[in-house]
Amino acid sequence: MEEISGEEVLNISVCVVVSNLSILQCIQSIIGEESYRQDTVNQWTAKIVEQALTLLVKQTKSYKYIVSCAVMQKSGAGLHTANSCYWDTVTDGSCTVKWENRTMYCVVSVFAVSLTP
Amino acid sequence: HPFVFLSCQTAFVVDEVSTIIKESVEGAIGGNAYQHSRVNQWTTNVVEQSLSQLSKLGKPFKYIVTCVIMQKNGAGLQTASSCFWDNTTDGSCTVRWENKSMYCIVSVFGLAI
Repeated sequence: MEEISGEEVLNISVCVVVSNLSILQCIQSIIGEESYRQDTVNQWTAKIVEQALTLLVKQTKSYKYIVSCAVMQKSGAGLHTANSCYWDTVTDGSCTVKWENRTMYCVVSVFAVSLTP
Repeated sequence: HPFVFLSCQTAFVVDEVSTIIKESVEGAIGGNAYQHSRVNQWTTNVVEQSLSQLSKLGKPFKYIVTCVIMQKNGAGLQTASSCFWDNTTDGSCTVRWENKSMYCIVSVFGLAI
């Protein structure tokens, strides 16, 4: 039984737009049963960002979206990520989802920038 | 040519952004070896310094800066991003930096207002 963990930091203004559960499901469907593989990991990250973006755009088109994904092999190495944003804190927001199984970590960040001023 | 001059003032210029990122990374972690106790502060410094310099460009953009620092020990790391934006005005730039003990990958996304 593979372990799933999900944590998110949600900005209220994108709560209705970003469903972290659907992003977790997206990751699970692409790499849930997989072990880290050097020769296919680039296809996985590409699929994850494409599918996550499609999900978001389906929900609402009144935002510009950026989705970024990092997949790292579990080997004891340390990994640290940080984001900072220069935007309108009232209308824009972000969400970060962390997932893991036995052989790899996956971190997906979604940034939503409002199109309406 | 006046039109070219105007578009440089308001466009996302990759070289310009790339220089800012490289300077921010060098300033924050250049000369250091990976240290678990400091990496949190380093990623914060890289993104904050980058953002500060980007906003000083005075261009009509919203910016998103992401930074990943990974210790070198043979593990594989793959990153990807996708964007739903305006292809004519928005842009991104990714810089990969490394020394003997760590990798640092910084991405900047600029969204025209």
